Amino acid sequence: MSIMEEAVTALTTPEQTVAFESGNEAAAMAAMQINYHVMGYFPITPSTEIAQILDQKKAQGLHDIQLIAADGEHGSAGICYGAALSGARVVNATSANGFMYMLEQIPVQSGTRFPMVLNLVTRAISGPLDIRGDHSDLYYALNTGWLILTASTPQAVYDMNIIALKLSEHTDVRLPVIVAYDGFFTSHQKRKLHYFQDGRSVRAFVGEQPPAGFDNVADPANPITIGAHMNGDDLLNNHYQLHLAQEQAAGVYKQIVHQYEQLSGRSYETLELYCMDDAEVALFLLNSAAESAKDTVDKLRAEEIKAGLVRPNIIRPFPAEELRNALRGVKALLVGERADSYGGQGANMTHEVRSALKLDPDNSTIVLSRVFGLGGKDFYPDDADAFFRLALEAVEKGRAEVPFDYYGQVPGEEDKRLQPVLTPRHGDAYKSGLIQITPNEATGKLKVKLPPLRSLTVKPKRLAPGHGACPGCSAISSLELFYKGIEGDVVTLVQTGCAYVVTAGYPYTSHKQTFVHNLFQNGAATVSGMVEAFWERKRRGEIEVSDDVTFIMVTGDGGMDIGMGPSIGAALRNHRMIILEYDNEGYMNTGSQLSYSTPLGHQTSTSGVGKKQKGKAFHHKDTPQIMAATNIPYVFTAVESMPQDLIMKAAKAQWYAQNEGMVYGKVLSTCPLNWRSEDHLGGTILKAAVDSCFFPLYEVEHGVTTITYDPEAKNNRIPVSEWLEMMGKTKHMLADEELLGAFEEEIDKRWERLKLKHESPLL
Amino acid sequence: MSKWTKSNQPGFFEIRLESIGGLGANLAGKMLAESGVLGLGLNGAGFSSYGSEKKGSPVKSFIRFCGPDMEIRDHSPIEQPDVIGVFHEALHTTVQVLSGLKPGGVVLVNSTRSFEEIRSDLNYPHGTLAMVDALGIALEERTRVNTSMLGALFRICDFLDRDSMRDVIRRTFEKKYPQLVEPNLRTFDRGYDEVQFETVESPAEAAAVSFLRQQPQLGYETQELGGIIRTQGNSLLKDLSGSRQGYVPELNLESCIHCANCDAACPDLCFVWESAEDKCGRRQMFLQGIDYQYCKGCLKCVEVCPTGSLAPLREEAGYADSNRVAHVFN
Repeated sequence: MSIMEEAVTALTTPEQTVAFESGNEAAAMAAMQINYHVMGYFPITPSTEIAQILDQKKAQGLHDIQLIAADGEHGSAGICYGAALSGARVVNATSANGFMYMLEQIPVQSGTRFPMVLNLVTRAISGPLDIRGDHSDLYYALNTGWLILTASTPQAVYDMNIIALKLSEHTDVRLPVIVAYDGFFTSHQKRKLHYFQDGRSVRAFVGEQPPAGFDNVADPANPITIGAHMNGDDLLNNHYQLHLAQEQAAGVYKQIVHQYEQLSGRSYETLELYCMDDAEVALFLLNSAAESAKDTVDKLRAEEIKAGLVRPNIIRPFPAEELRNALRGVKALLVGERADSYGGQGANMTHEVRSALKLDPDNSTIVLSRVFGLGGKDFYPDDADAFFRLALEAVEKGRAEVPFDYYGQVPGEEDKRLQPVLTPRHGDAYKSGLIQITPNEATGKLKVKLPPLRSLTVKPKRLAPGHGACPGCSAISSLELFYKGIEGDVVTLVQTGCAYVVTAGYPYTSHKQTFVHNLFQNGAATVSGMVEAFWERKRRGEIEVSDDVTFIMVTGDGGMDIGMGPSIGAALRNHRMIILEYDNEGYMNTGSQLSYSTPLGHQTSTSGVGKKQKGKAFHHKDTPQIMAATNIPYVFTAVESMPQDLIMKAAKAQWYAQNEGMVYGKVLSTCPLNWRSEDHLGGTILKAAVDSCFFPLYEVEHGVTTITYDPEAKNNRIPVSEWLEMMGKTKHMLADEELLGAFEEEIDKRWERLKLKHESPLL
Repeated sequence: MSKWTKSNQPGFFEIRLESIGGLGANLAGKMLAESGVLGLGLNGAGFSSYGSEKKGSPVKSFIRFCGPDMEIRDHSPIEQPDVIGVFHEALHTTVQVLSGLKPGGVVLVNSTRSFEEIRSDLNYPHGTLAMVDALGIALEERTRVNTSMLGALFRICDFLDRDSMRDVIRRTFEKKYPQLVEPNLRTFDRGYDEVQFETVESPAEAAAVSFLRQQPQLGYETQELGGIIRTQGNSLLKDLSGSRQGYVPELNLESCIHCANCDAACPDLCFVWESAEDKCGRRQMFLQGIDYQYCKGCLKCVEVCPTGSLAPLREEAGYADSNRVAHVFN
């Protein structure tokens, strides 16, 4: 086996072609040429593009990778693991909290020794949320047993994606591999690079098929057990094997990059040493910042300063021996890190560099450590210059006066502190007294009396203008309309997604009352805790607040995929809270990927339309019915184009949340940008969605379903094509009878079933 | 226009595009960079300012060129560009669009106004100003502003190859939207041909436009712990008028029945109401007007107005300011 692997497959050098592409495009190109079996993925900025590009190419019939849109990153890692267990070649991509969410699964894969490749497009982890690049996610990968390659340019991203697979599948390694590259700096900057013209050259290099002879579940003739639990005696030995594989990977990496250099002409030495031969001061930096700092090295060399730079291409296994050799003559080294290990007097690379040097009794390099560039804070050539000046100062003084510090922080100026612009209002200020709710004991339903919309304009809005939503976004108008039906104080949590991002970008907030953000999946759980603690503190007499505070968890933008578990948990526990979902039929905040609420055939950036694919392949999730099945007191659907109906349902929602327990409501919400519709048509499109019976307006009150607006009874029902023709994302469906027919059939089926429920209180 | 060639200058030739999300500056920047790299064999980088900002928010796109033998290793945003392209003339109210312009640089503005007015808006008395009615061209050809701007940028960067860009445009559209090839080529050509230039000689001592690397408003001594904000509703300090792309709703109160449908549909909370007595002496809410500071011009309000009291208006400079009815907060 190993002899075969060592035989260099390509003795001829295949043709390469010049391209101008970003790191994400490069990763997608490599994946496509490898023609992986499976990618299980979940969108997160800035790695999402990889799945988008692969979807687009798949629609054109350019590869066969099974792209599986997971319910969250934990699910995506599970899908990838499952595929690897089947002996398949598997790729994935994620960033930041996506990686954190899949973290549980990550050591399972290395501990059970199933190869795959994960592109970690590095980004700051929350909180506070920041979508730009640093290495705080990457550092969580250090202890997982995965090999980690660091790709500093789009070219390296392409090359390392090919190298990574071969390394991962190698007999002496058998470990999954992360290819880490900088979010935005590398993932989104377009650079000149070279590809192999023909994917076959890539497949010849990695092997047409995964190496045979390793256990997997795809062979019923040889049944196996994977994942038996162990005790310490056994686990220590298992982990020792993993440790040995990491040790061996160092050498295997060298062999593979040597072979790859012969094939491509590009070299990826374990450590890239830039002007290190006679360097007296040096920087140790990962990825893009190291590339930027090379310009500074050149500048300092021109000033006759002996500056150099060390940049690893692989950090797991950590290249300790190579570092000792490289730093032998260096008087001072500054390790710059885009993450901190808080309280550790230096982040992870600092300590690994220092401990590597400690084993060399002759080494006397002064090692400084600086945390910089967090959350994508830009790294300019003059920042690299400042790092070198610190190293030079240490050389001059013979020691590091401040061995560890942050770099780039500013104290701020007193006169620029945030100043209040509004006097906070609460309680009666938000009570119009115009909404009357009476429970009808005979029917078990609530009766709501509403004034005209005009009168309700007297209520102050709960959102301030100046938010950053796209023109014509209905998420914000729907939310404000919902608030109109709520009397008194609210505490709102908006999960990650458009409605959060555009209303709370530091140091601004568009919320007038108390607002909280928590991550995409966890809002329902967070509000559960919040509401219970609130009432418990009130019961103990610790806080003096009124009895009618309403807790609202706003989800949407795909949040009911990843957040389904916590939402059902909150519903089953029946907390006194409201979950309001604004359903824009996708993940619009991250660039219009499909969510489970994307309807059949609708085009998104991961359900493309082409000769091999016709938009989304499966039907939209019927979330209100799922939530109704939890037997919470009240479930509703509404749209802003029927404002009275929406406000009425908001008022009921508040009553139930205050008196009985949990409420779930869904509002359909136009996204002109990604539905590719005219900004001004928001309400018209929603009305058509309702009139076509795609989005029926109804409520489920104590388990009894009532259709609150029946387009058939009103003689308003329209064919679904009249709704679809208003949106660019669905135009292709109009010409596709089969697809349109399948969609209509599903709509009819759900509508007929709903009518039966409306007719029978028992259903 | 630009004397830069791949051999006569050791450094970078840098272009910064100032735009708002939705006008396609990101794509234009990348196409421009691609044309230099793949068409002319230059080395180059193309990237944008990235954030969570949505359509309508200020964005920047960067293009860095150098000779084929030079490596591009710097990842940082372009602070001292040779050329600045301003996609939306109102941007200067919120963004320092000219920041860092090199001596001898060129500023391109999408506008129908006069050189004099734009120079005064931008505080740009000397140097070369290029103007093109990119929006007008795009509206006439039913294409997009970025393509006409790209045409004008190619005229400015005359080291680039116009024909290679025309090929890129052809390739981009011909497979999926063949009917769009000709209008887009015309849009590009018209941008190229119709851009006008005016150079006002700089006094000898004139230097580059200074640039300031933006510092955060708050620091570690002035941020509240944990990133908490106590100044609720402070987004009202923002001016979103730069997000509009040509249209505003015009309100005619004469025919308005104060039904509040507009208020319910408006995502940007622009409608201003006041309580007053109606003819019968009862307290009632009356629509006062529109706070155009926040209006992004989506015109959803026009669509839901039952009386035609709201209508789309092609916005002219000054209209919003003189017709704004400002919210009174608190």
